Amino acid sequence: MNMKCLPDLSLDAILAGAPFGESYASPLSFERHLTEVHRAHAAAYPAERELAMLQAQFPAVLQPIAGDDLLAGRIFYPLVSFSPEPGGLGYACREEAIRQVLAECALAADDVAEVEVMLEYWRPRTTAARTRAAFPAQVAAALPSDNWFGEPGAGFPLYRIAGTVLDYAKLLRLGLPGLRSEVLARLDSVPPEHESGPFLRGVLGACDVLAVSLHTYAAQARALAADCGEAGRAADLHRIAAACAAVCDRAPETLFEACQLAWLYALHSGTWNYGRVDLWLGRFLANDLSAGRTTEDEALRLFCSWWRLMKAYDNQYNNRVFIGGLGRGTPAEIAAADRFALLAIEATRRVHLNQPQLSLRFHSGQNPALMDLALTAIGEGCTFPMLYNDDVNMPAVARAFGVSEDEAVHYLPFGCGESTLAGRAVASPNGVVNLPKALEMALRNGYDPVARRFAGPRTGDSAGFSSFEDLWQAYAAQAAHVVAPLAEHQRIEYAVAGGEAPFLFLSALTDDCLGRGQPLLSGGVRYLAATLETYGNTNAADALHAIDRLVFRERTLTLPQIVAACDADFEGPAHSAVRRALLVVPKYGNDDDSADAMARRVHEQICRLAAEQADRVGLKAHLVVIINNWANVVLGSHTGATPDGRRAREAFANGNNPASGADHHGVTAFLNSLVKLDPCLHAGAVQNMKFSRELFTRHRPKLEALLTGYWASGGTQAMITVVSPADLAAAMAEPEKWGHLMVRVGGFSARFVDLPRGAQEEILRRTCYG
Amino acid sequence: MPSPTGIVFDLQRASLDDGPGIRTTVFLKGCPLHCTWCHNPESQKPGPELAFDAAVCTSCQACVTACASGVHTFDATGRHTVGFDRCIAAGACLTACPSGALRLYGGEQSVEAVMAEVVKDRAFYTASGGGLTISGGEPTLQIEFCLALLQAAKAAGISTCVETCGFAPRESYGALLPLTDLFLFDYKATNPELHAQLTGSSNALVLANLRWLHAQGAAVRLRCPLVPGVNDDADHLRAVAALSTELTGLHGVEILPYHESGTGKYERLGRARPPFAAMVPDSAVLARWRETLSAHGCRLSPGTTDRQPDISASP
Ligand code: SF4
Ligand code: SF4
Repeated sequence: MNMKCLPDLSLDAILAGAPFGESYASPLSFERHLTEVHRAHAAAYPAERELAMLQAQFPAVLQPIAGDDLLAGRIFYPLVSFSPEPGGLGYACREEAIRQVLAECALAADDVAEVEVMLEYWRPRTTAARTRAAFPAQVAAALPSDNWFGEPGAGFPLYRIAGTVLDYAKLLRLGLPGLRSEVLARLDSVPPEHESGPFLRGVLGACDVLAVSLHTYAAQARALAADCGEAGRAADLHRIAAACAAVCDRAPETLFEACQLAWLYALHSGTWNYGRVDLWLGRFLANDLSAGRTTEDEALRLFCSWWRLMKAYDNQYNNRVFIGGLGRGTPAEIAAADRFALLAIEATRRVHLNQPQLSLRFHSGQNPALMDLALTAIGEGCTFPMLYNDDVNMPAVARAFGVSEDEAVHYLPFGCGESTLAGRAVASPNGVVNLPKALEMALRNGYDPVARRFAGPRTGDSAGFSSFEDLWQAYAAQAAHVVAPLAEHQRIEYAVAGGEAPFLFLSALTDDCLGRGQPLLSGGVRYLAATLETYGNTNAADALHAIDRLVFRERTLTLPQIVAACDADFEGPAHSAVRRALLVVPKYGNDDDSADAMARRVHEQICRLAAEQADRVGLKAHLVVIINNWANVVLGSHTGATPDGRRAREAFANGNNPASGADHHGVTAFLNSLVKLDPCLHAGAVQNMKFSRELFTRHRPKLEALLTGYWASGGTQAMITVVSPADLAAAMAEPEKWGHLMVRVGGFSARFVDLPRGAQEEILRRTCYG
Repeated sequence: MPSPTGIVFDLQRASLDDGPGIRTTVFLKGCPLHCTWCHNPESQKPGPELAFDAAVCTSCQACVTACASGVHTFDATGRHTVGFDRCIAAGACLTACPSGALRLYGGEQSVEAVMAEVVKDRAFYTASGGGLTISGGEPTLQIEFCLALLQAAKAAGISTCVETCGFAPRESYGALLPLTDLFLFDYKATNPELHAQLTGSSNALVLANLRWLHAQGAAVRLRCPLVPGVNDDADHLRAVAALSTELTGLHGVEILPYHESGTGKYERLGRARPPFAAMVPDSAVLARWRETLSAHGCRLSPGTTDRQPDISASP
């Protein structure tokens, strides 16, 4: 989920941009105002500086209630901002976007000069810049660039606090006044000058910020209602106004109030994964239904509107809503949550959008109606919900994170599929690793043929490797050369971000920040962990397998021959013969013992390498995630031909799937290969599957059996696209007719016609089963 | 005693249309019939055979030197001809060919090797009520191997289906009986002359075997390939329905609508395609079949005529 962690900013919106509640003389004047706020608080306590920024941002960045919204809450980040992630890490200034604004709108010369001063101010002061400035020399040397999108390299740091999932159950139980009381009690318990004072007072201030926003929306809703000629819509608006006002003064009592409070809290916090929504809203739904305050139809209408608001808060890589799973309380609570879950799936079927990313956790004892409706939705082409097998994932998460299964019950994949522990962990993915690049350099003594320079350590001339183990050592050393510094980067980033700001909204709803009186990243969060995105795992494994077989076992090719063929991108008769030989060696994804054994070896090596950094740098866990967004396409485009037969610049395989089209032994062989990679070693691996519509209609019982067999064999999760190859080809030819066609790209879903050509082709090449 | 080996030309995992549940289908070479519509012409000859895909060939001539039997020749105009009749299926040209234009259908395999693949999908058999299906060709032409494979599957606790064209000696069915959980029994035409014309033999033996198996209490499902304008006449449909009422123990009747997936293979095998102009049935034809059959009381297996013939094969 690192590709575009920022919402798409439309220039028109920026230019039109009078943010909610305030009016600004000219484009970028709001950014300049925020800059002044930051500058004025340069010497203040971090909590005071953050609070000042929050007060300046809210409600200004909130957008008016629009159309037929049933909840208040739209947001639009300025180009200078404070947030954990949506606007950039911590204090962020998006210089590139600002330059775009400068280029496209004629600002007065004075204003341009002021903007330049602003950019100058931020360059060394953004949290990201401060993080990089804190790199020790060897980290900076190993990670010379942040531009993973534009430059070749084996490893790149990312800057963000991503994927935090807050304790909304607590928010809804206490309400804003209850949360305040907890903080006040905590303040009372420490001496006046105690170091947690500024932080705890900051949390109180953040509660006030939220209350101001609630009142602002209440006023807007009342004004809209007064002007509204349509009685039904006016009633909706009055309900928004009443709920916004009510939750300032007491805990929410209705489903509607609970949704409203949680949604606005989420928007203020800068998090966009909402956790186990059925768990925290189920009881409100059940109470409202039994008291006759709402009907299922009315609740469904609310969820559909909420889903559209999530889509408006556009982040296709996040916006996760979880339903189902173990640990949802008493039988009555589970029944209430299930009722919510069924309506949530129904809402997803109705809105048919690529967000929210509805996700179903399930286990063997769960109400089968949930899975049944989920498969129906998937069969209709929703791509949602994504399916997560608790029976396998809970023990796996417990082992990977080193926590008890009681804690592991709170596991939640966020973003493209990285797991965190809701309400008690930070596990941001802040590094990108290109494994085929590590192999590319291992074959060339540290030389990157795409960058045309020695970027890796000198691991020896591969012509002299006398055994596969020599090559393996070189490959492992190239990987370690970036994985170890990336772990350090991660710890440094947390330390710098924590020094810069307490992240008040996150800290308030994350254990054990309030209890300890310490901010999230400065001793507050119970588990400070991290994840590391690795790409091209399958291509690296297939390439190593082909080399092992042809060079060291059958001895039909030499390493120099293979390197020369890759350098030539397999052009010419001799090199294409090498490619043909590489291609016929069995590949991962066919349940072939030897190919899959290499995939497992690559998997275990990189997972262990990442995990063993945790103690060294001081993290609870540092775990590989095998996800996908565009990075398989982007990193592939910076990598030459590889010895699995992949041509230069082609995309890597998606997540830990087989290389596109390399799996041709049927769906059971494909699934069997997937389950061979130990899930206890990492924090998530996406499993994309492309099934024919027929499998969901004529063969529905066999489809269910197929998934049952997969789960029973240790399948962790499934992200299913239902489509026929003919559909996809037709959509490429006539995109205007196929706006509804949704596909799973890896860690997210998209409208097929919105994807760039390369990604469309990659999906088309993927094997369709059934 | 070493277990017998067989000539296997394909092993298809995750088969959804070869019996109950999710199955692994093992295709054995050799068939006594030559149905005009056969999609698997590579199954008909008993031994391994070479296939050549001219569309992929780059005329590099590597096969010419690789082949000791002089199968591959190039004439003055650079045209590649394959002397299929001289081919002894040694396979040297396959390894030499850089473009994948050559392949061999059929290879000798042991029971153990086949079973090693079959057991891999046990979890899916268990979940779906599936198992092993032996198909062909006509499996009874390799009866020893077939029996050994079924025995091994039974010993491994895996359920078994045998797909048969019905044209085999009674003793073969007798031997299969105790090892086969379900026979998928082909029934192709009712008029004996038409049957002979379409398949090369009369249907008398087929019908006798069907009735005999049924009388023994075997589980049998009838499978009827239907080709529009060729064997979908009303008499045949009525006869299918009549069989389904006569043989009360029958485990359903399945319709296999004609599809065109096998058409390129004849050419690649160096054989002429039997003169045959058939069309793929559209939904109106499928509906007519379904109506006629049900009107005469035929017990169709669920979902069988819903199959869209054009998408039944995955790429
Ligand atoms: S019985 Fe089957 S394999 Fe044999 S010729 Fe007929 S269709 Fe082909
Ligand atoms: S070796 Fe292959 S590509 Fe070359 S001529 Fe023979 S069949 Fe054609």
